[in-house]
Amino acid sequence: MFSESLMEVRNLTVDYVGETSIARAVNGISFDIRKGEAFGLAGESGCGKSTVAFALARLTRLPGLVSGGTVRFEGHDVLQFDKARLKAYRWRETSFVFQSAMNALNPVIPVAEQIMDVVETHQPELGKRGARARAVEMFELVGIPPQRLDDFPHQFSGGMRQRICIAIALALNPKLIIMDEPTTALDVVVQRDIIEQIVELKSRLGFSVLFITHDLGLMIEFCDRIGVMYSGELVEVAAASSILTAPQHPYTRALGNSFPPLTGPRQRLEGIAGSPPDLRALPQGCRFSPRCQHAMAVCAEVAPELRYYPQSEGQAACHLLQ
Amino acid sequence: MAFLARRLGFYFAAFMVAITLNFFLPRWMPGDPTTRIFMALRGKMRPDQMEMLKKAYGYDGSLLEQYGQYLWKLLHLDFGISTVNFPEPTSSLLFYAAGWTLFLVGVATFLSFGIGLVMGIYSAWHRGGFFDSVFTPINVMMNAFTPAVVALLLWYAFALEWAVFPLGRAHDINLVPGWNWESAVSISWHAVLPVLSIVLVNFGSWHLGMRNTMINLLNEDFVVLAKAKGLSDRRVRYRYVARNAILPQITSLALSVGFVFGGAFISEVVFNYPGLGKFTLNAIESRDYTFIQAQLTLLTCSVLIANLISDVLNVIFDPRLRTSGGH
Repeated sequence: MFSESLMEVRNLTVDYVGETSIARAVNGISFDIRKGEAFGLAGESGCGKSTVAFALARLTRLPGLVSGGTVRFEGHDVLQFDKARLKAYRWRETSFVFQSAMNALNPVIPVAEQIMDVVETHQPELGKRGARARAVEMFELVGIPPQRLDDFPHQFSGGMRQRICIAIALALNPKLIIMDEPTTALDVVVQRDIIEQIVELKSRLGFSVLFITHDLGLMIEFCDRIGVMYSGELVEVAAASSILTAPQHPYTRALGNSFPPLTGPRQRLEGIAGSPPDLRALPQGCRFSPRCQHAMAVCAEVAPELRYYPQSEGQAACHLLQ
Repeated sequence: MAFLARRLGFYFAAFMVAITLNFFLPRWMPGDPTTRIFMALRGKMRPDQMEMLKKAYGYDGSLLEQYGQYLWKLLHLDFGISTVNFPEPTSSLLFYAAGWTLFLVGVATFLSFGIGLVMGIYSAWHRGGFFDSVFTPINVMMNAFTPAVVALLLWYAFALEWAVFPLGRAHDINLVPGWNWESAVSISWHAVLPVLSIVLVNFGSWHLGMRNTMINLLNEDFVVLAKAKGLSDRRVRYRYVARNAILPQITSLALSVGFVFGGAFISEVVFNYPGLGKFTLNAIESRDYTFIQAQLTLLTCSVLIANLISDVLNVIFDPRLRTSGGH
């Protein structure tokens, strides 16, 4: 059903430049986000998920540096956009929801202004009144009474603030919303409300989502397809429905085993022995091989490519599948 | 309401402590006003006349009696008679000097604040750029200069050597100041160097304060979000960064304004400016208790009022401090 690509990422590489060394945080990853789909990026902290999100929105700042690859949005190369084109791209076509709703709103100006200014900037023809009307509409959309528009951020709860951030992201009806751990700072009950709301809005408005979280359970419920990242590389891309039931990559399987199931018999959680490699001193070959229970001789020498294998629907990068 | 009452209670207590100190501090200095007059007249005064003088000024009773009298007079806004400018009441000299000081230090404070703020915003926004790398170190240096050196150098260079500006005074000696063009020109012209001597030493700290507060804010998520939203640089700079960075500056400004009535001792002495600093220094030298007390009382009041204003401004500008705003 999601055949057409909205965004095509090819060989995206992002480096963090230090005084004496360079850390390659994202190493040539490729994936597509299709129209109307929710694509998830999963992986443990520090694997490069947020770095990818920032790079796709052209928000990478020094010491971060996008050093290679292409990002095509509806066929146009995002990384080559000039200032004027970038302005249209950011927020009209793609918007962003940050992790920390607590800090994403300016505490000393009313929230109305923070929704209205984005409308006034991108659609000046609407005028102040039009922008205000849009702000009212957005508040209703995310379920906050519009009479609270003139309140300040500290007068809202954490969940409401994240809703306001979502309202800001929706203000120009973009085609893609990048959500970088949008619910991590919230408690579980509020998390559920917010996710249900995003699902509902997504089916109504038809935008695509790039969803980033380390909560695999939440991601499987919300996303259509999931990419699993390890140490700056994609190790598996598969349908959300099959990623836990039929994991192809040992890392994906290990990641799945480290979440306790809520129902069914008690079982021992396995976890993953060892810790992710230092980006400045990477192992040869497959980056996961030192922690992999099934590692073979070839794993320590040749890095596997992310590709389709006959036995599975998704893509994976592992020599075991040969 | 309870907050306001507690606040006002605090201000009243602070005021009482301050006026008590204002009374005792000058009296703890060695010597007293009548002895100074006795000495100044070099034997033309008999000791019994000195006793009469003491009585006339009300310095004859015990310290506690004098304190009671002082409080009683203060309640009636009577600052007593100055020993230096006898028989002028202290208040007339005090308010004359306060007017000039308010003009001189007030103008200098607001200029320093304005210049510092604009420079701070600019150099924070373009941090590491040419302007920032040149002016920030220069301002750190200017800020470290002793005010006396700056005032004397300005006086020597522009008043004495090149004689561009007048040597001293607040206006032309033949002029009776009034609300007219001639007075305005003369007063402004005389104020240039004294104002400059204060501004040069002070604007650097405003610049650095604003710059550092702004730079801390630049990495906040809401600033990154504001930029990502595609807002103009101007809007991000003023509504999302400077708007927040100005809050601590307002508090500092209110406090500086409170200290305006402390006068600018050095600039006023160097440029012979008839302000509170200069007269207070005179009063301290001649142990003119009444003037010192009156000046300190004025300073106490202005500092307390400035504090109160700063509290109010903070509530106005920082919505987080408004307790009753919720729904």
